[in-house]
Amino acid sequence: MAIDTRQAIDTRQAMDTRHKVLLFGAAAAVRLLLFTVFPALPDLLAGRVDVSTPVTSFKRLQEGVFLYTHNVSPYDGGVYHQAPLLLPLFSLLPNPAHAPLATNVFYTAVDLASAHALAQVADSGFASVTPWFASPRRHLRWSSAAIAAGFLFNPFTIATCLARSTSALTNLAILTAMAKASQGASFTFILAAAFAAYMAMHPILLFPPLTILLYHARTRNSKTTPSVSPFVISHTLGFCTAIAALLTGSAFLTRSWDFLSATYGVRLLLPDLTPNVGLWWYFFIEMFDSFRDFFLAVFWLHAASYMPGLTIRLHKQPLFVACTLTGVFAIFTPYPSIADAALYLSLVPMFRHLFPLMRYTFLASASILYTSFLGPAFYHLWIYAGSGNANFFYAITLVWSLGLSVILGDSLYAALRDELDVERPELRDKEVRRI
Amino acid sequence: MALFTSILALRHDKRILRLPPYLSALCVIIGIGWLLVLPLDEYSRRTYISENAILPGQVHTYFGGSEHNVFRAYRHEVHGLIDKGVAERSERLSAIFHEQNLKVATQHYNYTVSNRTIANENVYAILQGPRADATEAIVLIGAWKNMADEVNNSGVALVLTLARYFKRWSLWSKDIIFLIPGDSTIGPQAWVDAYHDGHDERYVESLKIKSGALQAAVAVDYPAGPWGHRYDKLHVVYDGINGQLPNLDLFNTAVHISSSQMGVGSVIQRMWDHKDTYKDRLQTMLRGMLSQGLGHATGPHSSFIPYHVDAITLVTVGNGYHDEITLGKTLESLFRSLNNLLEHLHQSFFFYLLLQHKRFVSIGTYLPSAMLIAINFSITAMALWVKSGRSPEPIANPASTQPKNPAFKTPAEKQKDAKTAEEEDEKKEKKDAPPRPTTLIEKNGSQSIHPTASTQISERTLLTPLLLLLTAHTIGLLPLYTFNNWHAPALPALYITTANLTTLLPLIISFLLFWNFPTILTPHTLCLLQSFSLLLLGMFLAALATLNFSLSVIVGSVCVPLSFVRRTRHVGLTAAQMLGLALLNPCMVVQMGTKLLGVSLAQVLVQGAVGWHVWGLWTQVVVWLVWFPAWLVGAVVVASGMWE
Repeated sequence: MAIDTRQAIDTRQAMDTRHKVLLFGAAAAVRLLLFTVFPALPDLLAGRVDVSTPVTSFKRLQEGVFLYTHNVSPYDGGVYHQAPLLLPLFSLLPNPAHAPLATNVFYTAVDLASAHALAQVADSGFASVTPWFASPRRHLRWSSAAIAAGFLFNPFTIATCLARSTSALTNLAILTAMAKASQGASFTFILAAAFAAYMAMHPILLFPPLTILLYHARTRNSKTTPSVSPFVISHTLGFCTAIAALLTGSAFLTRSWDFLSATYGVRLLLPDLTPNVGLWWYFFIEMFDSFRDFFLAVFWLHAASYMPGLTIRLHKQPLFVACTLTGVFAIFTPYPSIADAALYLSLVPMFRHLFPLMRYTFLASASILYTSFLGPAFYHLWIYAGSGNANFFYAITLVWSLGLSVILGDSLYAALRDELDVERPELRDKEVRRI
Repeated sequence: MALFTSILALRHDKRILRLPPYLSALCVIIGIGWLLVLPLDEYSRRTYISENAILPGQVHTYFGGSEHNVFRAYRHEVHGLIDKGVAERSERLSAIFHEQNLKVATQHYNYTVSNRTIANENVYAILQGPRADATEAIVLIGAWKNMADEVNNSGVALVLTLARYFKRWSLWSKDIIFLIPGDSTIGPQAWVDAYHDGHDERYVESLKIKSGALQAAVAVDYPAGPWGHRYDKLHVVYDGINGQLPNLDLFNTAVHISSSQMGVGSVIQRMWDHKDTYKDRLQTMLRGMLSQGLGHATGPHSSFIPYHVDAITLVTVGNGYHDEITLGKTLESLFRSLNNLLEHLHQSFFFYLLLQHKRFVSIGTYLPSAMLIAINFSITAMALWVKSGRSPEPIANPASTQPKNPAFKTPAEKQKDAKTAEEEDEKKEKKDAPPRPTTLIEKNGSQSIHPTASTQISERTLLTPLLLLLTAHTIGLLPLYTFNNWHAPALPALYITTANLTTLLPLIISFLLFWNFPTILTPHTLCLLQSFSLLLLGMFLAALATLNFSLSVIVGSVCVPLSFVRRTRHVGLTAAQMLGLALLNPCMVVQMGTKLLGVSLAQVLVQGAVGWHVWGLWTQVVVWLVWFPAWLVGAVVVASGMWE
């Protein structure tokens, strides 16, 4: 059966190649056109709280690059909270204030590479068929070109690209890690996963489900099951080594270990309460300082606790676990932005076979649509018109998170139901009832 | 939980699909009815001052006496400048301010809109408050020309007199800026843009001197000539650009001072003779909503409000017994109150509808009406979405039987029957030929047979309708760009062309698509297209209701038929719907609106272009990118029924 699917995939790939070239060309054209026709747009978006957060903002990155190129520690000003390795990379590019073209082309290329990785994940077919599980609805799927198009033409992705937020790079690393895991390429998977964790910290939680995915891919490719313990131990060790190497390299680059507290410390302890689309900032504005540490621990514990539970329960569908975790990141991490939602919403279409089982798709997508217009309106009332207040914007971020969590919960229900249909075929098409 | 599951079970009830049109209609009716009850005493409130620091009318005013002579002298001085050029006028006004020991500067502005050049000069002077540290300022404006294009002779003279008078007081704890803009709407915009460094230096000169953050601005419009004019009432104008309003405290302070302290009546929204009846209140509210919805500048104050500077204009109206000294005292008292402010005006309402000068409705009371109108579109969108998922096959009523026994018919009918008997037999055969597939459904141990069509969910193809919708919204960019950049004299001709073209456009589009790509405009696609279009419309209007309530209500009301039009094969019905939609074409509505209000269309178009380039007006964006695409999609959906 595995061979069958792969042959089908091969023919489909051949058909898709021409589509993909067209698609990537169109996506690049749209981005470069927007960069050129509206030169003020990137800076406008870079200042929007829903697109750029303190840990991904391009403006802060430029500040860091300026300090770095003038031989001052980039973390001295207390503005820059991003990974040190980004600095040499961006100091190579010409100053975007005078010559923005190189930066624009770079970010466009990042988006295209992400879309390519996403298409590879979709092509692998692991969304509906793994060596231990095959969905009864696996014939329902969209082509990888369509899924890549969903990522490339998603307005959230385009806004992230135009704002030149560094979450585009994190998304690229996550998608590459997924692609490499689904191809069974151990070394590149470890590298990409380590990069993702190095840049944004919370993607470290994706390592266990993606390792399972890698294990599935290896099983499928070699048709023998590698023994589990050496596999896990070697990959975990490799991952730790890669991260250690990245951290040591960073320390060598900035000549101190200060960056740890300025990057991961900020993500963990939330000292910067700039509003964003997430749920944390308002809570921690309102909170008394004596409770702060306790609630930080609770919030982080909550966000992290999804990983073990989902990985254990859905270990037969590791790609679905990874996808759902990106959704959890988009809702429950301290500094989420629309870039995280864009990543999650572009991964969901891979699970086309679950759509017939989902119940609230229209409701959830309508609420996300509504909030993406009401959010900026209420932020305008709060900050610019002065006639609203913080509660306006926070109310909308609540609805936004609700919309995302409805999609998350609904798809989780659909995945469980899908498994149930295989385990207990006689229950198919029966109504669920809570007992 | 039981309730929840029973609600979920309701989804399978067929009757629930017939409900949405009635629900939509109910929303619209309640939404509009809601507006109509607002003027009643039970739903509106009397105004009150929220901010403790203002203390309106608590000070004794000293303006008068010999100041009257100074005023008369300035009035003649200003009158002498009417026929002079801009440069000479600025020079003379600067000289007067300079004589009063104030810092003076001028600002030149030069806009090109619709291929016309608008150039003029602002003169302004800064009084440094003796107890101020130059961090806060309040502005007194006397525009050289008022909204009716008359020279604001006495208004400018009053500003000059008050500058001289205020300079001698030691109690100012804020700087006071005296601004004499070249005209009523463009000059103040250029000045306030430059004050906040938001100007384009190609058109507007930067300001040479500045003071602190602006706290409030008051404009005075008193166009009486050199021999004076006694007025009856003060008309308080408060609408800002894009329908933003000043804090209600500022308005209340002005009304309180003029009516309670000075004994001058105040009116709003050109309701010169307000009898405080239901009808008058409603009319005031509707006029206010229209003005807010259009979002245009209504006086020199309008430009200040987008910068979060609360501002109003006081206009003298009618023939009465109040003179310039009363107006001067009103302004003095108002400035003394503003001088008391400890922080920016924030206590009172920013969203309100005024029914008369001392009655208002706050946002919590009136917002539901706009939201209900917006929600009506969302309900229809959801209904159409559900409908698009159902099988296109018609579902026969399983309980109905066809009459087979012709015994009860009259002889005439029998004759007719005989003629058509053969045809009918044929039809019957056709109908009966493929027996409808049925499904056996088992539930709780009981079984029933349903037509398969009623239980299946058909696949939805989303790409085509989404692309069509995107195209409809992109088409709107074309008129938006053209109307804002076309030559002023040719604008009316362009408008007529657009009106005709847009009326025919749905027919043309549906015709071309139908004949060239018959696979695109399937009933399924059209259903989804209409669903998405209404969903977007509902969403835009809901977001707009929080920014500009009135515009949302106005656009929502004229779009209401869009949630009730459907594609039908019935030619008469299609024609009637097309006719109705043609009348609701945005172009037609705007044209009829100008006829009703008695303004010239050309003037509206030119002001629209000025608004776009100078004031930052957003109304045309709503018209061309929200209203027009929604109308176009609705009309295309209906028109496609013509080509069946």
